[in-house]
Amino acid sequence: MKAAFAIDPSDPRPIWRQIEENVRNLVAGGALRPSTSMPSVRELARGLAVNPATVAKAYQRLTDAGILAVRRGDGTYVASAPPALSAAQLHERLRAEALRYASFAATLGATVQQAATALESAWRAFDAGGGAPDQAAAPPGDPV
Amino acid sequence: MSVTSASASTVAAGTVLDLPAAARSDTAAGALAAAPPPLAAEAITVRYGRRTAVDAVSLTLSEGTVYALLGRNGAGKSSLLRCLLGQQRAAAGRALLFGRDAWRHRAALMARVGVVPEQSDAPPRATARQLARFCRPLYHHWDGGAFEGRLRRFGVPADLPFGRLSKGQQGHVALALALAARPRLLILDDPTLGLDAVARRAFFEELIGELADRGTTVLLATHDLAAVERIADRAGILADGRLLLDEEVEGLKLRFRRIWLAAAAAAPATALDAFAPLAARETVTGDWGVETVVTAYDDERFRAFQGSAAGAGAQVTSLTLEEIFIALTGAGADQLESAGAGGPR
Repeated sequence: MKAAFAIDPSDPRPIWRQIEENVRNLVAGGALRPSTSMPSVRELARGLAVNPATVAKAYQRLTDAGILAVRRGDGTYVASAPPALSAAQLHERLRAEALRYASFAATLGATVQQAATALESAWRAFDAGGGAPDQAAAPPGDPV
Repeated sequence: MSVTSASASTVAAGTVLDLPAAARSDTAAGALAAAPPPLAAEAITVRYGRRTAVDAVSLTLSEGTVYALLGRNGAGKSSLLRCLLGQQRAAAGRALLFGRDAWRHRAALMARVGVVPEQSDAPPRATARQLARFCRPLYHHWDGGAFEGRLRRFGVPADLPFGRLSKGQQGHVALALALAARPRLLILDDPTLGLDAVARRAFFEELIGELADRGTTVLLATHDLAAVERIADRAGILADGRLLLDEEVEGLKLRFRRIWLAAAAAAPATALDAFAPLAARETVTGDWGVETVVTAYDDERFRAFQGSAAGAGAQVTSLTLEEIFIALTGAGADQLESAGAGGPR
């Protein structure tokens, strides 16, 4: 199976967390719609070339968080009503990503103002492009 | 084996994975009451004359672990593996497979262990199918259907002499043979050495499928660190016969980081002091700045360092398993260049 995201070995986050956050983002962004069938642990592990136990851990955490749901004998699905992020979670995730962006901008020698301007114009371009990043990523587990 | 332990009850193996029930019961049935680890090295020492090739190495693989055994050539990997496979007697210490001495019970134990050797000793005229027919009676749970299925997926002709197969195909046959015996423990000695990228990928996909289906415990000696980094949950690094490190890959990647400080930012001596709390392993200084690999990285400490006068503008990058390996085994700074690590000096 072809996954809609890839694992980055130079990313300091553990692989299970990368999988977890990628799936969260795909669900939050609408690319993975409620009740969509997810690839099995085995399929996704092979697709990403990672240990199945790692995928299982990510799936377990996503299930515990109510983002995925397991139907007995019928695999894993996106929950029919995945919970929205709490304000605290939203803040925390924005903060983490902002830190990465900020350190990247600093490496280039950009000023805070330049970085902020670039962010704003990227945001506007994204808004003009039609909102949700549906077109950006094909959902995994497409019909075969 | 007697049937007295049938009451064995609680074996936790396989509960993490969504393994099929068949795989779970298979694992549980073979386990004794206290379930000894599939593999344990207890202070194994190997000597060749006066040279010590393996120096009191101890390590344990718990059920379902994928353990990457890393080391440069000549580090002692092969000697250690031979002891673990019962092919060589340790000068001191013991190798235990499922709690039994590998040297004394080699024949019985090997029925439960799949082995993929670095160089296959299969007779070059035998076809894959003939090899399977030869191996079949040696094992309790031979799965001929799975063997044929794997050959098909690999695209390896079953009726061509082994000696005429490509290196990659030979590796695929070796894996298919090892997995056909439905082993509880798989020992692989640099199985993807000399395989091209496509053959390597196919090899690891098949191995991953096996892990998902059966939760097999794996000891994988390899130089293929990019692949192993995604599959192994634990790694051991051998250097000069000693186990330099034996820990979870995840933790390893958290604590190792490269920190870089531009020359303009601070005098090298100050920077050196500043790195100290993060356990700098080796610091390289050049006109361009100071770079170091730290072994006890900590977000909070690093932010504090960044906030200090000495550390303003410091950058941090994570390391791949390969870079960590090089940082640990690339030895002195004089070898940094040949090992491909570090920046210009």
